[in-house]
Amino acid sequence: MASTIAGFLDRHYFLLRRLHSLTGVVPIGVYLFPHLATNSSIVWGKLLNESKLPAGQLESLGIAAHAGVETFQHEVNFIHSLPGLVLIEIGLLWLPIAYHGLLGIYFAGTGRSNVDRYRYQDNWRYTLQRITGYIGVLFIFIHITSLRFGWTYWGLMPAFDPHAAASSTAQHFQRSTLGTTFIAAFYLVCVLALVYHFANGLWTAAITWGLTVSVHAQRRWGYVCGAVGLMLAGATVASVIGFSRLDIDAARQIEQVMRNGGAGAARHVEPGASNVLSASPDGRDR
Amino acid sequence: MVPPTTEALQARSVRFRIKRQDGPGRPWRWESFDVPVEPGANVISCLQWIAANPRTVDGRDSSPVAYDAGCLEEVCGACTMLINGQVRQSCSCLIDQYAPKDGDVMRLEPMSKFPVVRDLMVDRQRLFHALTRTKAWVPIDGTYHLGPGPQDTPQRQQVRYKLSECMSCGCCLEACPQYKLEEHESRWDKAFIGAHAISQARLFNEHGTGNVLASDRLDAMIGPGGVSDCGNAQNCVKVCPKDIPLTESIAAIGRAVTIHSIRKFFTGK
Amino acid sequence: MVGGGLAGLAGTIRIAEAGLSVDLFSMVPVKRSHSVCAQGGINAANDIARQQGYSEYEHFDETIYGGDFLQHQPPVYEMVHWAPKIIDLLDRMGVPFNRTAESQRDLRLFGGSLYKRTHFAGATTGQQLLYALDEQVRRWEAQGKVNKYEYWEFLWPVLETDDTGRRCVGIVAQDVRTMQIRAFRAEAVVIATGGCGMIFGKSTNSVMCTGAAASRCYQAGAWYANGEFIQVHPTAIPGADKLRLMSESARGEGGRVWVPRTKADRRDPRDIPENQRFYFLEEKYPKYGNIVPRDIATREIFDICVNQGLGVGGGNMVYLDLTHLGREYLELKLGGIIEIYRKFVGEDPALVPMKIFPGVHYSMGGLWTQYTAKDDLRGMAMGAANSMMTNIPGLYAFGEVNYQYHGANRLGANALLSCIFDGLFCGAGVANYVLEVVTTTSARLDQSIYDAAARQQQEIIDRLINARGTESPYQIGRELGEEMTAASTVVKSEQRLLQAIEVLQLLQGRYQSIGLSDTGMWTNQNLSYARALGDMLKLAEVILQGGIDRKESRGAHYRTDFPDRDDANFLKTTVAKYDRDTDRPDIFLEPVETGLVPPRARTYGKVAASTDTTRPTETVSV
Repeated sequence: MASTIAGFLDRHYFLLRRLHSLTGVVPIGVYLFPHLATNSSIVWGKLLNESKLPAGQLESLGIAAHAGVETFQHEVNFIHSLPGLVLIEIGLLWLPIAYHGLLGIYFAGTGRSNVDRYRYQDNWRYTLQRITGYIGVLFIFIHITSLRFGWTYWGLMPAFDPHAAASSTAQHFQRSTLGTTFIAAFYLVCVLALVYHFANGLWTAAITWGLTVSVHAQRRWGYVCGAVGLMLAGATVASVIGFSRLDIDAARQIEQVMRNGGAGAARHVEPGASNVLSASPDGRDR
Repeated sequence: MVPPTTEALQARSVRFRIKRQDGPGRPWRWESFDVPVEPGANVISCLQWIAANPRTVDGRDSSPVAYDAGCLEEVCGACTMLINGQVRQSCSCLIDQYAPKDGDVMRLEPMSKFPVVRDLMVDRQRLFHALTRTKAWVPIDGTYHLGPGPQDTPQRQQVRYKLSECMSCGCCLEACPQYKLEEHESRWDKAFIGAHAISQARLFNEHGTGNVLASDRLDAMIGPGGVSDCGNAQNCVKVCPKDIPLTESIAAIGRAVTIHSIRKFFTGK
Repeated sequence: MVGGGLAGLAGTIRIAEAGLSVDLFSMVPVKRSHSVCAQGGINAANDIARQQGYSEYEHFDETIYGGDFLQHQPPVYEMVHWAPKIIDLLDRMGVPFNRTAESQRDLRLFGGSLYKRTHFAGATTGQQLLYALDEQVRRWEAQGKVNKYEYWEFLWPVLETDDTGRRCVGIVAQDVRTMQIRAFRAEAVVIATGGCGMIFGKSTNSVMCTGAAASRCYQAGAWYANGEFIQVHPTAIPGADKLRLMSESARGEGGRVWVPRTKADRRDPRDIPENQRFYFLEEKYPKYGNIVPRDIATREIFDICVNQGLGVGGGNMVYLDLTHLGREYLELKLGGIIEIYRKFVGEDPALVPMKIFPGVHYSMGGLWTQYTAKDDLRGMAMGAANSMMTNIPGLYAFGEVNYQYHGANRLGANALLSCIFDGLFCGAGVANYVLEVVTTTSARLDQSIYDAAARQQQEIIDRLINARGTESPYQIGRELGEEMTAASTVVKSEQRLLQAIEVLQLLQGRYQSIGLSDTGMWTNQNLSYARALGDMLKLAEVILQGGIDRKESRGAHYRTDFPDRDDANFLKTTVAKYDRDTDRPDIFLEPVETGLVPPRARTYGKVAASTDTTRPTETVSV
């Protein structure tokens, strides 16, 4: 059996390696954009959008309007309205992630970091790529199982409810038995690790595929990847802060209003109408 | 001729901690020697001194330290070893730069990615085997006179010359986190081939006649242990004593195999 | 094939191409052979020089003139005519020769010529040539026609005597890692083991250039010729472990040699104005200037420093100045040697003049070899089985280890040529010898011959291992080097050489009571060195005795007691035969074939050349 697998790996070694590289960029890496855009809408939605809910209704409930909660709920609604969502999830996300993760663990095992002897920046970059890969696999597993399949990990991570997107996500952050700070730190570290893994992977993929050959090209592409990474890191920080500090009760009531007729009001917020970031939402959970 | 001495000799000594091993599979140990150094001394001259005076700091009679050396001008690649933990040629390692003060310590170890023969001497046969694996040669028709080779622009010549300066010393392999010690020859063809051989594949693919074997070389680069095994830590280019653009070679071969595999997919050859 | 430098590899390729299988023995991986150290380039007539009046004949004449007429002329004639073809071949093998804007092979000026006729690849031409040949040998190895024995040291030739006489039928070699001694069968043996610089202690040579292999052949009965002709390269960088070569190309590309006009001028060289600099080579040799042949440049530098005391800071050093050439030009043309200076001295030659001094570099002498001349003496007969065969049938010597081509002084960038030429031209001779001359193949010889030869070597090794003396081989080696350098390099005299012979005999006596600090039988470098040292001492005696017997000055051999060339008595090869009974060299003189270019005075246009003015065109008066 082992030899069969080894034989298969040997015969299709190049294809498997390149698929590994490719899946890291598309779809997995590219998916980070809408995903983090959606999540951070809890912050930018509030800053950029205006509440579409009837003002009187909220006033009567004694809560302030929160366009972020509305935007986020809207995005989630959009995603959940996609036909054959589960097939998209399996085909474009779970399978590629499983492939990239499992092969990644195998490939990472073929190297042995030597930053202790060669303290070059690039060598740290290489080492971090492996470490963040391991973190990523672990995190994505916890993340999908808890937020998509409702594993609460013994109350550690309250489940997600797509009908009360913002409030249940905020609960996920704030009502954990380990406390908000822990979950926020956990998400911050893990997602930033993934963002690093993606940005660096994007840089090395250009070498692997031979797009950036000269040192100059590699350096310039490095700036681009760095900028992409910083942008995603910004969205990550915004999302984590946004959900860690969201008033859960208020959010829940806004969502209630949206569900009862207010839902119609929310329809005013057409995707793309007020911002560019929501133009291609195929985000999934939360 | 008397070697010129412009500065007065300063008597100072440097302590060498040397990782020694009597042979393959034998236990290793550290031995220390105090070596008087004169200005301009390098690691080789100190090893020569130890060979003539093999007495450790605790007064024990030892044996001369085995090491590889050749040109002593950093063009043959023989005397590569780990000095203070990092790989380099020992001939070009000047004591004044590494251990400027009296009593400074320098640590010498054999390369870790190749089997130790004895002391600081390792068996780098795998490195040359990689050149066979890459078909790193131009398939000429023979040595009879057949006129000049393909014309080459000065720009291309400069690129090829730089790549051709590789002296197979193994620094790039020693510093590579993806390159590992493989004692057994049977494993060599599947283990990572290393930056030097990838760069040689590029060198010969760049040559008008050498290019005839490009497809064979790229096939070798596609398989297990080929260019895909590179993890882009880019240590190779930093430790290369000849400043060969190894990471550019890796990317160039990456591009070549991309195109090669697509062509192969559609044309079958 | 013993030796994996340019000559050994070129020979291996040619012999393999003839359909024979080759066992290639080398003390080091062949890619690390000493040929990598050659920097400047390789000479060959070319179209540009041709249109300026240059030709193969001029190249031939320069080589003979440079060698002070001591070489047999037919082999030189053949070699220079092969030179352009060899360049083409190397080009086809992928050697990255520097190129002009029009993609032609670039040329540079080199010592002993007024024409640009030196092809080069940066300043690491030897390395590039060696790699190209190494690659071709690897190709043959992959096809199973060549077997490499790397880290094997040649110990002795296996000789067999039958009714037709004596011949070489194999070698005894030792794996320097496992210390295993083995006899190998062969139809023919080629020694291509290079020079013997280590006899002089510090030299520009690599550490394996001990001359031990040549010495062993000599002790086994091969003749050794012109041993006294040792080239001292004018420009080397003194170092603690060796002298590093600073290529003649530095001068060929415009480097200027000078010293301050005032003794012990302590100023920074950059602060010394032009009119206070003494460009002594340019002043004495206005025609050739800095690119006079090596023996002349060396003696002039020696004279300036030792006799006139004008060396930099009062020491034994002169400036080699490249600072006027510009960094970009230097990096392009001389990158490799600039780098060596920068790394080993720590100063930038683009900014500060380099400090250099002569260092032992090359042995013109070597194993005595034969050739078959064409009837009109213009070249050698192609494929002749005796091409570069020693006096022992079946035992050949290629490259620096033989005594051909360079006479009393080698011209820069002719060594790479002679090595590759030997391999290619004489390799064919070896193949013919094996295919046509050898009647009884070695496979049919009795194993006892080989066993006995191996046993004999084992006994020598055992004696060394079991020796319990107190003398350190390294100490003897150092004293040998110091004595040889002092007595037998730039200037020699009978008295000094005789004194050196006495020292040598003392050292040989002490060698009998050496003791090894390492008596193990695994990668024992102490043992390998001690074994080689014994052979170096024997060869040193040949070098000294040749110097004593040659009572004249010629090329690199300069005797203060006989300062002039003496063609009547010494236009001859000194040939040393080992006398087993006295354990001393027995030297006889052999005439030189000078049928093509009659000897003439060798002045290189020296200003007011006092003794040699027979060729007025070259005596320029100011």
